[in-house]
Amino acid sequence: MISTLAYGLTVGGILYIISIGLSLTFGTMRIVNFAHALVYTLGAYILVTALPKLGLGFFLSGLIAVIAVIPVSYLIERYVIRRLYGQSVDYAIIATYAVLLIGVDAIKWIWGAIPIPLSDPVGISVSILGIDLPGYRLIIILISLLIFVGLEVFFSRTVVGKIIVAGLEDKEAVASLGISVDKYFAVAFTLGSCLAALGGVLYAPITAVNPYMGFQVLLICFAVVVVGGLGSIRGTFLAAFALGMVMSVTGRFWGPAADTMVFVVLGLVLILKPIEA
Amino acid sequence: MSLPLTGSKSLINATLEFLRKFDLLVIAALFLLLTPLISADRAIDFMIFCIFVLAYDLLYGYMGRLSFGHMLYLGVGAYAFALSGEYISGNPFLALLIAMGSGAALGLILGPIIVRTTGACFALINLAFNQVGFFLALVAFSRWTGGEDGMSTYFKKIWIIDFSKKTTVFCFALLCLILVIFFLRRLTSSLFGILLRGIKENETRVKFLGYNTFALKMVAFMVSTSLSAFAGALFILNYNYVTTSFIDPLRSVEVIFASLIGGAGSVYGALIGGVSYKLISNYLPNYIQRWEMFLGVILLLLVFKFRTGVWGYIMALLKRLEQPAAVESEHRSEISR
Repeated sequence: MISTLAYGLTVGGILYIISIGLSLTFGTMRIVNFAHALVYTLGAYILVTALPKLGLGFFLSGLIAVIAVIPVSYLIERYVIRRLYGQSVDYAIIATYAVLLIGVDAIKWIWGAIPIPLSDPVGISVSILGIDLPGYRLIIILISLLIFVGLEVFFSRTVVGKIIVAGLEDKEAVASLGISVDKYFAVAFTLGSCLAALGGVLYAPITAVNPYMGFQVLLICFAVVVVGGLGSIRGTFLAAFALGMVMSVTGRFWGPAADTMVFVVLGLVLILKPIEA
Repeated sequence: MSLPLTGSKSLINATLEFLRKFDLLVIAALFLLLTPLISADRAIDFMIFCIFVLAYDLLYGYMGRLSFGHMLYLGVGAYAFALSGEYISGNPFLALLIAMGSGAALGLILGPIIVRTTGACFALINLAFNQVGFFLALVAFSRWTGGEDGMSTYFKKIWIIDFSKKTTVFCFALLCLILVIFFLRRLTSSLFGILLRGIKENETRVKFLGYNTFALKMVAFMVSTSLSAFAGALFILNYNYVTTSFIDPLRSVEVIFASLIGGAGSVYGALIGGVSYKLISNYLPNYIQRWEMFLGVILLLLVFKFRTGVWGYIMALLKRLEQPAAVESEHRSEISR
């Protein structure tokens, strides 16, 4: 019971970290960004490369991975996303999917298609109410909560965050105040990409790192973003943990159905509350 | 246009007139010519894929709804065909009807949820349902579908029609393709087709004219799902086995790619796209190892530079040949819009 709960919170935390970038991109630029999965996968791959080569330990290597995806996300933003701005959603979906195809093939080229397993970086387990829980999972939950608090502060206290939130609401009004909105959206995009890479880093020890790890997670994250209300930052947080719980509870009864249940919930949400987007 | 038959311009016009009048025969002839160049097996595969692209294009090209999970409808047709062959009767025609019926039934069930959405939501909800379908075929119903191993099918010989012979399958697939083209061309040039294009441009205005857009979208969606299911069934008729790769959501991009490369919103564009995509995916891996990367680059080029696809390019070229002045003015009006 408690382990199911903890697993749900872990998955929810990771989903939140990855989804926030998608939610921001959709809210600010009305773009469904499939390339997000590429950044996520890349983060995990840089981690598994940096870990044995540099010998800095898991968390420092993870930090390197998060920073290393910044140039990649800048290239994607500058040459693909920005050109699609204000265009039909269909072309954005196809173009970012093309970026994902190119990137995944490049990853296969560089690292090969064989999954790379990674051991639990913390190793100790914590006993709560007589049940042993892996410490690493608790750290993930902690990190996701910290990120939530950090983003809340960022979006409500700093000028950059406030401009992004205002841009989510009404882009034209912000632009008419003489603020170059696109620049701030680029900041939001890079922030989201870094968080996606962090999600990849944190999830890597739980599953094996493979080139296609992004696809499956991306679908679930889309479900999170749609269930949470497109472009809503707090909604994404709630939806991520709710769907994380759905996955872990379903997984407890019938393992293979865990991912599918998320889409059933998505379908139900869309039946009750269709979104015009 | 009744120009006197003098000079090269009128010759072009006469050729175009001929092509327009006998286009179905020309398409059939082109496929027959293509067959010796590639193998008959591949030609069948190409034609069936073209049916799928046509079904997809009704939603994407005409109604303006990008589905990112159309493999679901193909896969349902494929499994319905294989399962009815296994459990109901060995009659392939009955199984084809059942496959089409199950595609239509799925469209009827999922349609009310799906067609209400537009844009990104439409793409993603199709993808979500495709994922559910993939899971059902792979895990939940693996007792009947064979899961990852798939299942092989066998069909009885009906009268003189024996689908274990490739020539029969070839003729049948060609006939089906021609019929589907004929049907879709009639459908899209009717009032219904014009209204669909109206929905693509501005749904509110079509509603304002007094049309029930929900019913229109439902019909288009169901036609697309049942034709996709039909294409899925034909694939199984050709391959004689069904695996989960026929319902794999990751393969949904193939049909989008085909539709884009040929040019969305045209029957001929869908045919060109279907054949070109199949040629690329069949032959390119022999020469380039990283062909997925190549595919991605082409997709980016299509999105950024050639949105109208091959057929759109040909049409623009023809227009310029026929009346150079008209193209100029159209360009201007497009810019002002």
